[in-house]
Amino acid sequence: MAMMVSATNFDVIVVGGGHAGTEAALASARSGSKTLLVTQNIETLGQMSCNPAIGGIGKSHLVKEIDALGGVMALAADHSGIHFRVLNARKGPAVRATRAQADRQLYRAYIRHALENQQNLKLFQQSVDDLIIGDGRVTGVVTDTGLRFTAPAVVLTVGTFLGGIIHVGMDKQPGGRAGDPPSNRLADRLRELPFSVDRLKTGTPPRIDGNTVDFSELEEQPGDEQRPVMSYMASRDDHPRQVPCFITHTNEETHELIHSGLDRSPLYTGEIAGVGPRYCPSIEDKIVRFADKSSHQIFIEPEGLNTTELYPNGISTSLPFDVQQAFVRTIKGFENTHITRPGYAIEYDFFEPRDLKNSLETRHLPGLFFAGQINGTTGYEEAGAQGLIAGINAARLAKGEEAWSPRRNEAYMGVLVDDLITMGTREPYRMFTSRAEYRLILRQDNADRRLTEQGRELGLIDEQRWRYFCEKEEAIQRQAGVLSKTYVHPGDAAVETLLGQALNRDHSLLGLLKRPGVTVNELMNAAKLDSLREEVAEQIEIDCKYEGYIVRQQEEIDRVMAQQEMAIPDSIEYGTISGLSNEVCQKLESVRPATIGQAGRVAGVTHAAISLLLVYLKKQYLMESQGKQGTSRPLKLGR
Amino acid sequence: MSEKPPVLEDTIVAQATPPGRGGIGVVRLSGNKVQDICQAITGSLPVPRFAAISDFRDGDRSVIDRGLVIYFPKPASFTGEHVLELHGHGGPVVMRLLLDRCVRLGARIAAPGEFTQRAFLNDKIDLSQAEAIADLIDSASKAAAKSAVRSMQGEFSNQIEKLTEKVTLLRMYVEAAIDFPEEEIDFLGDKKVQGMLKSILSEFDEVTEKATQGALLREGVSLVLAGRPNAGKSSLMNSLTGKEVSIVTDIAGTTRDIVDNYIHLDGLPLRLIDTAGLRSGSDVIEVEGVKRAHGEIRNADHVILIVDCFAYRGELAAAAEALRGEVPGEMPVTVVVNKIDLNPDWQRELDGVPEGWVPVSAKTGEGIGCLREHLKQALGFIAVEEGTFIARTRHLDALARARISVETGGRHLVEAGAGELLAEELKLCQQALGEITGIVTSDDLLGRIFSSFCIGK
Repeated sequence: MAMMVSATNFDVIVVGGGHAGTEAALASARSGSKTLLVTQNIETLGQMSCNPAIGGIGKSHLVKEIDALGGVMALAADHSGIHFRVLNARKGPAVRATRAQADRQLYRAYIRHALENQQNLKLFQQSVDDLIIGDGRVTGVVTDTGLRFTAPAVVLTVGTFLGGIIHVGMDKQPGGRAGDPPSNRLADRLRELPFSVDRLKTGTPPRIDGNTVDFSELEEQPGDEQRPVMSYMASRDDHPRQVPCFITHTNEETHELIHSGLDRSPLYTGEIAGVGPRYCPSIEDKIVRFADKSSHQIFIEPEGLNTTELYPNGISTSLPFDVQQAFVRTIKGFENTHITRPGYAIEYDFFEPRDLKNSLETRHLPGLFFAGQINGTTGYEEAGAQGLIAGINAARLAKGEEAWSPRRNEAYMGVLVDDLITMGTREPYRMFTSRAEYRLILRQDNADRRLTEQGRELGLIDEQRWRYFCEKEEAIQRQAGVLSKTYVHPGDAAVETLLGQALNRDHSLLGLLKRPGVTVNELMNAAKLDSLREEVAEQIEIDCKYEGYIVRQQEEIDRVMAQQEMAIPDSIEYGTISGLSNEVCQKLESVRPATIGQAGRVAGVTHAAISLLLVYLKKQYLMESQGKQGTSRPLKLGR
Repeated sequence: MSEKPPVLEDTIVAQATPPGRGGIGVVRLSGNKVQDICQAITGSLPVPRFAAISDFRDGDRSVIDRGLVIYFPKPASFTGEHVLELHGHGGPVVMRLLLDRCVRLGARIAAPGEFTQRAFLNDKIDLSQAEAIADLIDSASKAAAKSAVRSMQGEFSNQIEKLTEKVTLLRMYVEAAIDFPEEEIDFLGDKKVQGMLKSILSEFDEVTEKATQGALLREGVSLVLAGRPNAGKSSLMNSLTGKEVSIVTDIAGTTRDIVDNYIHLDGLPLRLIDTAGLRSGSDVIEVEGVKRAHGEIRNADHVILIVDCFAYRGELAAAAEALRGEVPGEMPVTVVVNKIDLNPDWQRELDGVPEGWVPVSAKTGEGIGCLREHLKQALGFIAVEEGTFIARTRHLDALARARISVETGGRHLVEAGAGELLAEELKLCQQALGEITGIVTSDDLLGRIFSSFCIGK
């Protein structure tokens, strides 16, 4: 146990113990930095404030990337997951995703155990009220009892706690989450700094008591028989007991009741100014905006193995409690249901993410990093991914090392960070696979192959994981070699039966694998070779089936990369670049992209503008080298 | 210290000589695939910097043209990359086939000013020229935009837009099915997506056929002949082109449609457009002709207004002024006073008219030499780096790629249920269509999904 704070000087201080905070603290400590995690309440470390599930489309991609860099989220999901499914199982591997329903208590316990046993990491319970600022940079934090902790890097992961207001009907009260106070003093302090602040909104459904639900009326949704695992280091044996989920639907009576309560809905009376997520609307929003739909799906998720409480996903609401109770009881199976906790909406502060660097350090206050909902995102996975990146970079800053951030073609984490700092967001930002232009390369099955080597260099990967990774990679290379060198000949009965047609000439097994519907192990068996391990077979198969597309995307990446990566100096004055339109100037000025690639992704920046920018940068380069040589002749660098 | 900009390495191609029907046309390539492309087209790689003669072969080994090949290995070339020049016979067809061939071999049509830009980035042009390059990129992209617009006027442009909209809609369905599999909107399995694919494919065929027919071919600087009926527009056209293009009669209103023809003034390609006489006509066909004439005038680079010096005794200037009023004010205009052969007093008629009016007799040819000289001076500056011809080649190439993507994507869906590959192909398709319209869609697919479907558990 590392509970006692023996010193007040650290390399990195992380404020907040949610999904961003825990990954940030763990990554920082793993890479060798002396780290302090300060939280309002040690009991709620790793709390799932919304629904009890980890993963999903686009999200399990993030979870597996966190895992590939040594993070904790995937392992925690495996050790607390009570229901696992593969989504998009019948579509291609690039868009397949894993989702785990988690037991909240088990999840929290796993996270806390990981934090408590992490070397270089100390935990401390107290509310942070202020930042210590000196010489224009952050140098530490001050708690509500006046304790001061110093560090050259501070990561703020304060979720919905900054200026949080909870709405149930026309009642509103300050809160960071039901039952927890908001961090208003810190919010006020941050508002004094030159950040641009706005409001977002999110919501939760009422929780219900499973003992009062008629399950015989509900459609049961069992987990997958072939249970997937979340972490590259976990196995099915790590999973606790499994339970089913259930599905039910709203109906017209439900909708009528909700309609009748709209005059007391803070969403519709204008009480809530923050913008909520379009993909996760409240039930009142769904009914108003899609009035022609007479029924909406509700997924009923168990809260855990040792509780009867249920999470009815799909009816998040801020209607008054009496309306909540009435409409819930119109739903099939819920006729006699008792609500254990009312649903609510919460409004909170977030900071314009375009003010961040890709390390998640704020541009305005060096040493200060933001991760999670404070940046306008939603979701445990999105928070965890940012926490990891902020934690890594806070530690690197403390060590005087250069920032690190994955690129868009390397990870969904790269897409996430780049989207945020380039385009900003107007609603809580959630990951989707359609946000990734290199979707066929960024798969949940190959996050380790994309990131673990870099993780090793960053000091995040322990021996065990590294050894496991190297063995797997070696097996993939070796077996792919075998498949490409093993030829089958016309008349090979076993292979021809498998293919359902005669061979007209010799074929390599790898060549045959390209055919639709043919799997590696079927081929190996037909050719009388040993079957391959599941994860090795999978990689060979996907590499082979996607080959053409991967080559094309790789070519595109290689082609644009040199240009994309070219740095734009901080000192650039867009107004002085001849030919750039005012409109483009303003857009570039507001984002201040770090690279040419990022500039190209700023909405409204044209190809011609990028050309002008390149020419300008080249000109600057020439002028500087000229100045150095002290010559006034026109410079020719040509050979 | 600024970072030294990196070198770009893909291969670009463009026609280096002015578009049109010059005696020689040069196709220039620059980039990393130059050697392979040279091998494929000419069968060998010539000695660097020596002109070699060779056949230029198409993919099916047929000979496109025979001409000179010059290979400049990097770094001693215009751009600093491997450069290849193919000197063929000028003329749209040969140039088009050569460009097509290069594109199929992996080059892409260069963006406006791109060769020069590369030369600069590779230290081939010194600092003092940097400003000029910025101007070039700016003006060349404007010129390209203008010629692209002209190459795909009207119907073609509308059809591409409609097609793009359909592809975007289909993408919305496919992406929704991928990102929201639990929302009861999985369209990949049902017939809806396949039906949409089919209809998009047939629309592609329709557009491609029209675009290829040459009905859209517009090249060179466009010069419109306009005037009152029977002012001698058609005669002037014939006189300038040297052949009987327009039907010439004494009956006013003979040219009811648009007749066009290409001429060269010392290598400057001109598209000469004869129009129906500007008057309030009575019959339906003629009214339509006048309407179209006004359309041509609006899209022209330059207009020749023809006045009959015989018809307005003493009122010539006023007549010309009235005619000028029918042409947009900012349009450059040359006034030609025709039929000087019929009016022995023509010089008196011209007393006091503005400088620059050109007296001619379309019938006898008197003054035509003068007119050519005048036009050369007036039009020479409209030197577009990228002609409509290149723009059109680019469009056809993009159209073909877009279609292949839809076809391949459909096959992936049917054969393997691979919705993600269909999605990938549709993205490529939309990109290719975007190259034609020049409109980069904001690609807010998620926004469309959220407003069309009720998403959200």
